Amino acid sequence: MMAPISSPFTHNNNSVRKVMLNVQLAALPALFTHIYFFGFGITIQWTLAMFTLIAVETLMLKLRSRPVWPYLTDFSGLITVTGLVFCIPPEAPWWIIVTGITFAIIFGKHLYGGLGYNPFNPAMLGFAFLLISFPYEMTQWTLPTQVSGHFLSFMDSFNLIFTGHIHTIPLDQITGATPLDEVKTALSTGVPVPVTLEGESFNRFRIPYGWAAVNIAFFIGGIWMLMSRSIRWQYPAGFLITMIILSATFNWFDPENYAPVRFHLLTGGLMLAAFFIITDPVTSSTTPLGRFIYASGIAVLVYVIRNWGGFPEGIAFAVLIMNMFVPFIDQYTQPRVVGYRK
Amino acid sequence: MQVLSSLKVAFIKWVSRLYPMAKRNLYQFHGGIFPQYHKELSLSHPLKRGIIPKTLVLPLRQHLGIRTEAKVKVGDRVLKNQCIADTEKGLSAPIHAPTSGTVVAIEPRYKPHPSGLKKLSIIIETDGLDESIENVLAVDGAHPDSPVALKEIVHQAGIVGMGGAGFPTFAKLPEKRNTVKALLVNGAECEPFITCDDMLMQTHADEIVKGAQIVGHALGVEQIICGIEDNKQKAIQSFSKACADTEIQVHPVMTVYPMGGQTQLIQELLGIEVPSEHHAIDVGVLMMNVATLRAIYHAVTFGNPLISRFVTISGLGLEEPFNAEALLGTSFLELAEMAKPKQPIDYPLVQGGPLMGTALHHNNVPIIKTTNCVLANPPKPVETVMPCIRCGECMDACPINLLPQQLYWHSRNHEFDQVEKLKVFDCIECGCCSFVCPSHIPLVQYYRHAKSTIKDIRQKEAMAELAQKRHEFKLDRIAREKAEREARIKAKKAAVKQKTAQKPQAKSSAAAAAAAKAAALKAKKPSATTEGQPVLSARDKAIAAAKKRTQKAKPSTGTESKAPSDKQPDARQKAMEAARQRRNQAKTAEDSTDKAAPKDSKSAQAAAKRAAAVAAAKKRAKKTTEKQESNDDT
Ligand code: SF4
Ligand code: SF4
Repeated sequence: MMAPISSPFTHNNNSVRKVMLNVQLAALPALFTHIYFFGFGITIQWTLAMFTLIAVETLMLKLRSRPVWPYLTDFSGLITVTGLVFCIPPEAPWWIIVTGITFAIIFGKHLYGGLGYNPFNPAMLGFAFLLISFPYEMTQWTLPTQVSGHFLSFMDSFNLIFTGHIHTIPLDQITGATPLDEVKTALSTGVPVPVTLEGESFNRFRIPYGWAAVNIAFFIGGIWMLMSRSIRWQYPAGFLITMIILSATFNWFDPENYAPVRFHLLTGGLMLAAFFIITDPVTSSTTPLGRFIYASGIAVLVYVIRNWGGFPEGIAFAVLIMNMFVPFIDQYTQPRVVGYRK
Repeated sequence: MQVLSSLKVAFIKWVSRLYPMAKRNLYQFHGGIFPQYHKELSLSHPLKRGIIPKTLVLPLRQHLGIRTEAKVKVGDRVLKNQCIADTEKGLSAPIHAPTSGTVVAIEPRYKPHPSGLKKLSIIIETDGLDESIENVLAVDGAHPDSPVALKEIVHQAGIVGMGGAGFPTFAKLPEKRNTVKALLVNGAECEPFITCDDMLMQTHADEIVKGAQIVGHALGVEQIICGIEDNKQKAIQSFSKACADTEIQVHPVMTVYPMGGQTQLIQELLGIEVPSEHHAIDVGVLMMNVATLRAIYHAVTFGNPLISRFVTISGLGLEEPFNAEALLGTSFLELAEMAKPKQPIDYPLVQGGPLMGTALHHNNVPIIKTTNCVLANPPKPVETVMPCIRCGECMDACPINLLPQQLYWHSRNHEFDQVEKLKVFDCIECGCCSFVCPSHIPLVQYYRHAKSTIKDIRQKEAMAELAQKRHEFKLDRIAREKAEREARIKAKKAAVKQKTAQKPQAKSSAAAAAAAKAAALKAKKPSATTEGQPVLSARDKAIAAAKKRTQKAKPSTGTESKAPSDKQPDARQKAMEAARQRRNQAKTAEDSTDKAAPKDSKSAQAAAKRAAAVAAAKKRAKKTTEKQESNDDT
């Protein structure tokens, strides 16, 4: 059907590849911050993820008899990698990330027809799968250097990831619960939030060491992506505004039980989600208003799961749930076409 | 207010240094793109005039509408400005000889059209004398006072929209004065590479202004605004100078594609949207291209028809791109060769700009009234098309605020009802969406395809509906006839009974009927013989009697004599026969079982539908062939 030549004959030279590379670039500040606070674990995880990605994508493309090179080099898989490696504990055993990526690429992407056809965010699908299958491994987070007093060398991380133990430091000194977990557990034992925030995981601004910095780095990368039009403003705007409104309201009514805004914004994967995960265009709503609604919906769900749900962090589930509403949102948020009544 | 808005503009301009797309907030319409313009290429070389090529090829159709008919024969000598083709049969614009010479052939030739087919054209061998008929339109130079008078001249001069659409201009002008509130002069010229309007405004601003005044005067418009993109500073200057003592306002507008689109420029200059499925004229706006206005000026003042136009010959494949005032009928290739191609032109030239132009199947085609640009861009490696990632770039670029990504999704899946719901018919095929798509999807091609498919489907549906209606009408008629016949028979029976009661000898009912008929006829036409009309012969009577007999014997099915042949296909007839039978069965069954009836009539309906479908299919097949033939000349 497609005739070889018909207008337009010119293009702005943007490409999927460039968009995806931009996203990668934007993740670099967060990567460096992460290394600074949590050690080199993440670089090992990243490398593992990349190899898994290349292997699995090649295999799947071959199986689906698609050309390997153009699809492998569209770099869309990199987004999945970024989404996932930042979400798993830096010193998690090697098979965690390998299974996660494999699951994400096969079940989250290729079984639906590959790039552009998957209804669920592959990274979040992989993460949810890991969290349900390996709850113990997934919650053993490396503590920030400031908290544990240890900085893991590259070899330490390497040994931890591949053998599960190192000789120099006892494991329980360097791993522990995430701040989100800490607050939640404390609340269940009757310790109010402000008291927990005085604890050793938090600095003098009552924001968690390490986590806050990584979140801020993501924020900076996110601004860069907004400026280079790699992502659309409606996602972070809808997500962050809703999050701020919710956490501010609850905190204002009941500061004993509900953490303040800055805690919610700067812990867990919040900024990662705001700029790198929910912005995945394939699985999100595509209309301008729809994007905003979609992002707000995720924020509501994240807040609900964080405060009342069974998991400390709810981004993955929130995203997956909102993915299901996308066709519905799209249908009811179509913009007004020029020449039709307002 | 003024201060606030200029502050806002300054702020946006500042932001746009960090975030270029912030510029989208500087104008009235949605979306838009900022391509590389390359306008300096053709502007840096002087305007060429007075090129008289050896042969001119003039297609008989250079406008939207129907083809004109040649008024000259092979071997005729023609003079410049002489009308050589016209037609009375419908919307069209006459064609005039661009210079003097001899008609050497009237035959199909390639013309710049996406179909790439040969179309009937007049071929003139020029003699270089350029002898002309002055004031061929016989005007007195006065500005027409009524729209009708203006329309007449414009029509005779063969003027069409020269911005690209090619709609005959006279048909665009309203019949009544004061229908047009604002006349907009389109000097936006937003396509990259093209500078012919720019050049025209720089060199002939006064003529354009006079053309606008002529139109304004004749139509009684209140306001004339000229929109020029702000990358054409020289044109703005010369135009402002020409407008100095007139009521015409010059309005520099943002440089953004597609500013020159009718809907977009109206939005920008007047802040109003033309409602969907309406024309600009419905909101009291008339938009005209600068070249068209100049042609009007020449027609009204000197009586000269449209025989030449400004054309840009440009492209990255040319050493010395230029603008020319070229005679209609000049070959693309000839002009391109004059611009010193960097490499042999063995690739398709493009008519128009890179965003909405048409790639040519044959490069040796003539300049026609709508040709604004001959573009020679050597082919670039084709990017692989990737799947849509729903990034929404296309949506943000669409000047109509459509959802190109959804349109694409549904077009691809052939869900044309969805495509229509997403308002594909409001798409102006500007190409902004394709331009920005990071997946390099040829989106506009999908919309063109979807549009033509939907049109086809609609046509088929209309045909099917017509067939269905005809069929229903026929069933109705048959039922009515049957009822009438039965009534007649009843009446006759009654008459016969009366007669038999009167006559002592009983007759067979058939004979009785015949007799009754004869009697009735006699009674009705007592003077038949005297007036020379044929009397029913005995044979006729017998036939009539026989017919009635059969009717009596089988009242339910007997009425179905052969249906009047209206050239229906056999399949349809069979289906109808079946339907009819079923219907009749239903009728007979009606008395005994009430319940069975609806079901049966349903199946009859189904049969009818089937029959209609078959008929429609047949028509479709026929129509497509017909259409292909008629399309042949678009
Ligand atoms: S620009 Fe291309 S990839 Fe992006 S949403 Fe539109 S069609 Fe899809
Ligand atoms: S071609 Fe149609 S859909 Fe694409 S940007 Fe232009 S108007 Fe919108």
